[in-house]
Amino acid sequence: MTAAHVEPLARAAGNKLPRAPRKWQSKALLAVFVAYVVGVVWSWMYIDMTLLTLFGGFTELWNLVVDMVPPNFDNMRVVLKATVETIWMALIGTTACVVLSIPLAFMAARNTTPNPVVFAVARAIITLTRALPTLVLAAVLTLPLGIGPLPGLLALAIHSIGMVGKLFTEAVENTEAMSREAVTSTGAGKWQTVLATLVPQVTPSFIGTALYRLDINLRESAVLGFVGAGGVGFVVQQHLRSLDYQRAIAAVGVIFVVITLIEVVSTRLRASIIGDHLSSPTKKTPRTMARERRDHRLLVDAVTTRRLTPPWTYERLVRASAGVIYLVLIVVAFATIDIPYLSALGLGDEVIDSFGRLFPPDFTTAGPELWQGIRETVAIGFIATTLGLVISVPLGILSARNIVVNRFVYGTTRLFMLALRGLPELIVAVLFVAAMGLGPVPGTLALTVGTATFMAKLIGDALEEVSPEPREAVFATGASRAQEFVTSVIPQALPNLVSQTLYMLDVNLRSSTVLGIIGGGGIGFLLLSALRVLQEPTVGAIVIVIFVIVYSIELIGTFVRWLVE
Amino acid sequence: MTTVLSGGADPLISLTGVSKRFPNGTLALDNVSMTVPKGQLLSLIGLSGSGKSTLMRHLNGLHKPTAGTVKVFGVEVSSASSKQLRDVRRNVGFVFQQFGLVGRATCLENVLSGALGRLRGPRYGVWSYPRTLRREAFDHLERVGLAPQAYQRADTLSGGQMQRVAIARTIMQQPQLLLADEPVASLDPESSAQVLELLLKVATEDKMTVIVTLHQVELALGWAHRIVGLRDGRVVLDQDARGLSQTDVMEVYRRVDRESELLATPSTPAAAPITERQRA
Repeated sequence: MTAAHVEPLARAAGNKLPRAPRKWQSKALLAVFVAYVVGVVWSWMYIDMTLLTLFGGFTELWNLVVDMVPPNFDNMRVVLKATVETIWMALIGTTACVVLSIPLAFMAARNTTPNPVVFAVARAIITLTRALPTLVLAAVLTLPLGIGPLPGLLALAIHSIGMVGKLFTEAVENTEAMSREAVTSTGAGKWQTVLATLVPQVTPSFIGTALYRLDINLRESAVLGFVGAGGVGFVVQQHLRSLDYQRAIAAVGVIFVVITLIEVVSTRLRASIIGDHLSSPTKKTPRTMARERRDHRLLVDAVTTRRLTPPWTYERLVRASAGVIYLVLIVVAFATIDIPYLSALGLGDEVIDSFGRLFPPDFTTAGPELWQGIRETVAIGFIATTLGLVISVPLGILSARNIVVNRFVYGTTRLFMLALRGLPELIVAVLFVAAMGLGPVPGTLALTVGTATFMAKLIGDALEEVSPEPREAVFATGASRAQEFVTSVIPQALPNLVSQTLYMLDVNLRSSTVLGIIGGGGIGFLLLSALRVLQEPTVGAIVIVIFVIVYSIELIGTFVRWLVE
Repeated sequence: MTTVLSGGADPLISLTGVSKRFPNGTLALDNVSMTVPKGQLLSLIGLSGSGKSTLMRHLNGLHKPTAGTVKVFGVEVSSASSKQLRDVRRNVGFVFQQFGLVGRATCLENVLSGALGRLRGPRYGVWSYPRTLRREAFDHLERVGLAPQAYQRADTLSGGQMQRVAIARTIMQQPQLLLADEPVASLDPESSAQVLELLLKVATEDKMTVIVTLHQVELALGWAHRIVGLRDGRVVLDQDARGLSQTDVMEVYRRVDRESELLATPSTPAAAPITERQRA
């Protein structure tokens, strides 16, 4: 360490231009960058994807689009029924996850954990549940539980604990301690204090997280049907298998509409719950003013008549009705979803039994294929991230309104990206596979599209947030538009871009472990074939490999993010 | 110590040889002994970090002493069971500098939380408290002049109003002993005068014993029966307020300055009388 500090200074004496002193962190960062470039080159050679295959892919895709027009809505009853099941699965799965995550969060939060052992166990559960992708978990759970929504919603519930539990824990740790000390001082017991002081503080962020996860789970639950774990994915897959593209695209359209609608509703709900005052909007319309007057009157009445229950202000009405609607929905979901509850109770033993059969894992039967699957998975992740990044840069620049001054251009670009993001990646992937056949190329392309649209939005947003002062200063020197962009906009946006690229690599590597399940290349394909022939020890081996891949990505990601900061 | 100050029979509080060393090594209290009789109004003074807050937190068991015993209402707080501790705390009101309100909850809920010690089981929301308690909470809010704000969120109030809600929560406890840890230090001069007046009015009306830490020496002298000065965790002044002038009290602060400037000086002669009195 000391040498690293002294050396550049010594060198500076000899050279004309002194260099900035370099710490070992920046060396490590350079190594990460080199490793990334090597990874990309190797992946490109491994997948053997030439630009020709890419363009060939586009003609095949175009052919598919032609085959899909006009969409055929004959089968709507089945599609809608399956879509409703998809929604119920997401709702029940998310609810179950929240119920499990609440105690876990209090056990895993430094300020509420009862003892170090509980703390460590809770943290471990939260970390480990994240490491098995939902689709893998669902596929394995169909072994003991059979085809249907039950394995699907269980997989959603278990996998979501990773994210929801982590965010809940952070929420608990971010509460202030003063009120806790104050209420403890009144002689309140431990649970009384927690309920009186911590719970009101964490509730908004818990609800926000749950709604956010509901969005994600809805997308995931739309593809669970690919492994027979319930929902609308199964219908899409069947139509594609029978080459009935017009019906398939109709089902995809329904998925798109439902996901977009629910996302809009949950985003608005989230904003109103997390936003501190629901009833103080920035714009005062006559309606909001009337609402405020009514609220004020209610509050005055309540205190002058000494009402012993809080008055029904607008804010309280909205919250209460959202709560009631949720309760009704969850009851309907439980009542109508196709789960044999009574026999499901007896399935516990079977689940344990069937997980037991995954051990000891058999790494040898599928040995060479397993190794190939791992390499293909990693390659897909690298290429999709890099290609997506390359495409996203022009796309992102086009969508930033402070850089492209033409309203029409950024408007259409944003709309186009929004439409593409509305579909789960695996649905896009399954369409690409239908167009281009099995193999890593369609899978890579699907992930590329996902990456490109996601990153383009980030780049667009980041560019719009770039502070205008340095730009003006550069313009003032007489620089051209392009010069100004390179010298002042890019440096400001770069750090964020780097960490987002890492994040996308993480996401894509996770996704590429499951792409194979729908024929998009990578280790997932192996998992599906081993499941089909009931080679349970091989399934065990593949699950372990996926677990290790995802977990190491997470560790590396955490390390690199730490380096960047 | 058996001076005019402790007139009653049984002291409400008695500390004997209390020392507190925090895990990071700071000695916050150093062999503190004192008794407080029922009904006394006592003001603790001293620089920040002199151990005032730590001393207060020992009186309701938020901190445990490293050595010595703390007795409140005859219960040894340092070794009390959690049930005993809850009983003690229920009878000890604590008003904090930073109020300690739950910002997202309404004022009424915050006041109601003062009744938790009397109730069994966790409560969430106004409706979960008995109606009689809700009525009582309204009365207390009225007493501090904030009944109109009952259904407002606590974080919409001003600092002075927040402290008044915290006082209402303390009255809700019906405590025998009131501890106020720099209750007006984060308020502007005008509201701090109002809040302090309210606090003392309520305390004397309800016949509470009061220990308050204050920075305003003048205020402390104005209403306290007794002044206790702390420095580096030791009691350096313990006197009837009537005999004290403001300059006497200011010595507690001033001498610290001189001492920290002249590190080599052992103990200044002027400090001797007070230290002797304390040990007598």
